[in-house]
Amino acid sequence: MTIRTTPRSGVDDHPVAGSGPRPPRRRRGDGGPALAFLTPSIIVFVVFVLGPTVGVLVLSFYDWNLLSDGTFVGFDNFDRLLHDHRLLGVYGSTTYMALVILVVNVVLGLLLAVLLETRMPRLLRGFFRLSFLFPFVVSASAVALIWRFLLNKDLGLVNYLLGLLHVDRIDWLGSSAFAPVSIIVVNSWKTIGFSILVYIAGLQSIPNELREASIVDGANAWTRFWRITFPLLSPTIFFLVVINTITSFQIFAEPRVLTQGGPGDASRTIVEYLYDTAFGDFDLGYASAIGITFMLVLIVLTAIQFRLSRRWTFYE
Amino acid sequence: MSRLVPRVLTFLVLGIAALAITAPFLWIFRGAFSGSDAELYRLPPTLHPSNLTVHNFGNVTEQVPYFRFFLNSVIVSTSITVAQLITCSTAAYAFARLRFRGRNALFAVVIGSLMIPIQVTIVPLFLVLSKLGMTNTLWALILPGIFSAFGIFLLRQHFLALPRELEEAATIDGAGHVRTFARIVLPLSGPSLATLGILCFTYWWNDLLLPLVMISDTDRQTLPVGLVLLAGRFSTGSLGTIAAGIAMAIVPVLVVFVAAQRYIVQSIASSGLKL
Repeated sequence: MTIRTTPRSGVDDHPVAGSGPRPPRRRRGDGGPALAFLTPSIIVFVVFVLGPTVGVLVLSFYDWNLLSDGTFVGFDNFDRLLHDHRLLGVYGSTTYMALVILVVNVVLGLLLAVLLETRMPRLLRGFFRLSFLFPFVVSASAVALIWRFLLNKDLGLVNYLLGLLHVDRIDWLGSSAFAPVSIIVVNSWKTIGFSILVYIAGLQSIPNELREASIVDGANAWTRFWRITFPLLSPTIFFLVVINTITSFQIFAEPRVLTQGGPGDASRTIVEYLYDTAFGDFDLGYASAIGITFMLVLIVLTAIQFRLSRRWTFYE
Repeated sequence: MSRLVPRVLTFLVLGIAALAITAPFLWIFRGAFSGSDAELYRLPPTLHPSNLTVHNFGNVTEQVPYFRFFLNSVIVSTSITVAQLITCSTAAYAFARLRFRGRNALFAVVIGSLMIPIQVTIVPLFLVLSKLGMTNTLWALILPGIFSAFGIFLLRQHFLALPRELEEAATIDGAGHVRTFARIVLPLSGPSLATLGILCFTYWWNDLLLPLVMISDTDRQTLPVGLVLLAGRFSTGSLGTIAAGIAMAIVPVLVVFVAAQRYIVQSIASSGLKL
């Protein structure tokens, strides 16, 4: 991570892809200014990202409960991971909830964004946008608390409305089948507005001429969507898939407030399990080992997405 | 006729979605004025004035230091946002416009750190901050949030897309990098900076994990934890008080959001988030 400040001559190796003519010939490299511009970020990066990352790796080889001195235990914590049935269950429920949230946000978000971009009065469009985005800026714990009222089995609004449709009362927060569904609904309800907004931005950047030309050519709405909108929107979709994956695997507040991860581990997420292990059981070494598995999962998922994206994303 | 059906369907879908999102807020606002638990849960809800009260709001401030929570949240989110805008924009400028050895490697490290969220490193982070004597202070909530790989990436993409001609003209006029950055690049980057600011502020305003881990004094908690503390008194307090607490947490956000919504929507929309 060293930045050499040795001067470099010439501009031939100018690596920035930019448009227009090359900048005036500078005789020296920009090592000095670069260091100055980067220093603030480097300091916070080293102390609060790199240091703790190394710390997680080191801690995962220790048995430590905060009070006594830690003891080096080699690969014991990783051995424990392999035999931890709860960990597997928690990864199962986390993956289930994260994938459904991802699909809902990316697919339903696209549908709502496309509908929002159809012809309608300005004021109405503004109202729709405002209401879709608003839950995104409200804190997750406030959102979860509201839904704790609404999903109450005996008195909640949701079961009341379902009752009007002659559906039996559902134990939204207390049954292992519906607790994860509740987390999915509440989290998507809160976060889908962000995806919708990013889609709107992507849709608006598609030139109108393409759409008009295809109408002249007699393409119907369905063909237009798949032949024009979807390919041109694919970088936006890819961005949302990557971001929604990372954020939905990190869910913590909703299960914490709504279900405490229960019943059993039915709605427990990996972050909640890590938190309980570290700050409930004070099993810091094992919690660090769990953290490493989580990091590996995110790295593998992102790598897969980048690999697959080459098949379906389209860049102009 | 054939064009009417899709239009009706469009408004039906959008209308249902908007209702599903706004109804819970309206319900909690009404609940904040309910005089008893039975009244809060009365279905369908009524708006008859004899059943409504404003006492719940007073009860909130009696039960928890609500304004303290609010102030703490404002301090933490604002500090992180300002610090992130400074560190991310300077780093992004270096990555977008300066030539130095190891630039690509360093940028790869930044992008790689996207995959190490704070949840992974929370344990050593807690240890570092407690060694520095900062746990149980607001510093423990501010400092870990400042570095943002996403912010650097977002701003770098934006800086790369800026026309170089203006910067070149400035260089010919004898402006150095600091001046070019402050006088040319930053003023052209309003929407991107606003987008980063909004996303950063809302993320840290909403965060529950860090304050739960770092803070033990009630007086130093932020609003999300404060609400959970208030709701923890489900057994003793009235439900109307909890509803009032939630409403009091939402209203300021709502006011700012409605006032700035055009700007928020415009800035995120025009910054064209994609990979």
